[in-house]
Amino acid sequence: MRAPRPILAAASVAVIFISLPVVGLLQRTPWSSLDELLSRESVIQPLLLSLLVSVIAALVVVVIGTPLAWTMARVDLPGRRIVRALVLLPMVLPPVVGGTALLFALGRRGLIGQWLDRWFGLTLPFTTLGAVVAAVFVALPFYVIAVEGALESGSDELEQMAGTLGAEPMRVLHRITLPRLLPAMGAGVALAWARALGEFGATITFAGNLPGRTQTLPLATFLALESDTEEALALSLVMLIVSLAVLIPMRDRWLPGRRPDQ
Amino acid sequence: MSAIHLAGTAQAGHLELEVDLSVEPGETVALLGPNGAGKTSLLRILTGLLPLTRGHLDLSDHAADVPDAGVFVEPHKRPIGWVPQDRLLFPHLTVKQNVGFSPRARPERVDQLLEVLDIAELADRRPSSCSGGQAQRVALARAVATEPEVLLLDEPSAALDIDSRHLIDNLLEDRGDRATLLVTHDPVEAATTADRIVILENGYVTHVGSPVEVRTRPRTRYAASLAGLNTIAAVATGSTATTEDGVVVVLGEPASGPVHLVVPPVAVALHRTAPGGSPRNVWEATVAELQPAFDRVRVVLDGPLPIVAEVTPAAVEVLGLVPGTRVWAAVKATEITVHPA
Repeated sequence: MRAPRPILAAASVAVIFISLPVVGLLQRTPWSSLDELLSRESVIQPLLLSLLVSVIAALVVVVIGTPLAWTMARVDLPGRRIVRALVLLPMVLPPVVGGTALLFALGRRGLIGQWLDRWFGLTLPFTTLGAVVAAVFVALPFYVIAVEGALESGSDELEQMAGTLGAEPMRVLHRITLPRLLPAMGAGVALAWARALGEFGATITFAGNLPGRTQTLPLATFLALESDTEEALALSLVMLIVSLAVLIPMRDRWLPGRRPDQ
Repeated sequence: MSAIHLAGTAQAGHLELEVDLSVEPGETVALLGPNGAGKTSLLRILTGLLPLTRGHLDLSDHAADVPDAGVFVEPHKRPIGWVPQDRLLFPHLTVKQNVGFSPRARPERVDQLLEVLDIAELADRRPSSCSGGQAQRVALARAVATEPEVLLLDEPSAALDIDSRHLIDNLLEDRGDRATLLVTHDPVEAATTADRIVILENGYVTHVGSPVEVRTRPRTRYAASLAGLNTIAAVATGSTATTEDGVVVVLGEPASGPVHLVVPPVAVALHRTAPGGSPRNVWEATVAELQPAFDRVRVVLDGPLPIVAEVTPAAVEVLGLVPGTRVWAAVKATEITVHPA
């Protein structure tokens, strides 16, 4: 279909708006000294840490987010609307506020944190695990929304059909529900992972900014911007490449908009 | 011993079903009724997807749903094969994986069904690439692969091509001890495949009887409108067909092989003397019975071609029809529709 001119013009403005900063970044990137910059420990360390934290966070999100999405979509809970609002809260909340809230809940003297510390000797703030917790907190809603939407749009008729064919509930889950949910789970996990990778505010508030432990790529970039602009640009380029490398192949298969054959 | 024994109440949305129904092993029962009468809900009661609120349901003489006694057998433990109206094939599995989905389906049986229903070539395809008739055969194979004691078919031949219909009919003919409950809109299908007909209206069973009983003694307006049709088995050769009793009927459209001739009773004209003119099918018959059917009278005829005519009360008076009267019955060839048997 041919787009009307005004729509095409507005869409072009949006594309330009999105790509300008990227172009600006690429234009300022110190290409000649890039080799040296990228082999610096202060670049490699945050990169590896960011990958570790975001991947673990994405896994945690799948493990706890899938049952949550299923429950929200399929079980007639009394306080369903309140639960949904709570689950989506981190999407709207400024991450710094989220980090502060985490600190008062899970910090050494926090509501739960004091017991974690006393019983298990477990401290979350200013640890890598704390960075993972912050990332899970902000990323979970993106995954839950994607999966819950898919569960709600498909009714449970196929599950019922499978039941009448003698399949027990766990078999129905394994053979019908999960395979049909895979595209939505893929889309959700891509969004959640991307959100976790970019996480800044909650991490710096709750987990701090300790090189090698909680200093992820966004934190390192922000810090470098004050001291070493070239390094900040190199760090930004790395983030850009990692994000595109993951999102572009996923675009066709999993992200909303195109669904594999039903 | 019965395959289905149901006497109970259930709530399906706004409709309350109150149903009394028994089906014997080996029996085929057609469930007829207008839209929204609760036919599909009745099947859902049997599968366990719609629990009873009162009463009891036994399947193969085992209690399956008795709310007062706290008995409820989960759907996956019931000896039932279900072919829902919209088929509900699993879109992410191949045809063969669909047919073999049930843990109760033996692999040899799955292969055999793929062959018998002529879907072996589709085995590795997804249901989305099957035609309507093929998808219906896959759904039937999936249900039958579990070797169910009770088979539930919801509008199985709606919009089916002739080939699919033949393959499905052939498979269902070999029923053994399996009880079959067939939901249909089509009175011809009901009359030709079922041992008994159950009419369901507004959540209640309004009539249970043999196809002949339902046709000749309709109890409700809906049944009367269904019963409206005469169906006669015959073998067609071109423009004529010969009934089991050797009566030759002239057809309006050429056909060949075993057929069912469908004649609306209003199309059967009665005369006291042999008529001339255009009707090509004329035969002599004896009035066996007169039945008032709302504003009309149904005249049951004995003779070489047992058939029901529907006339006005005035015509009964003018013709002086009483049981035993000899009459001439006439049907125009163009009033007869021919269905492949």
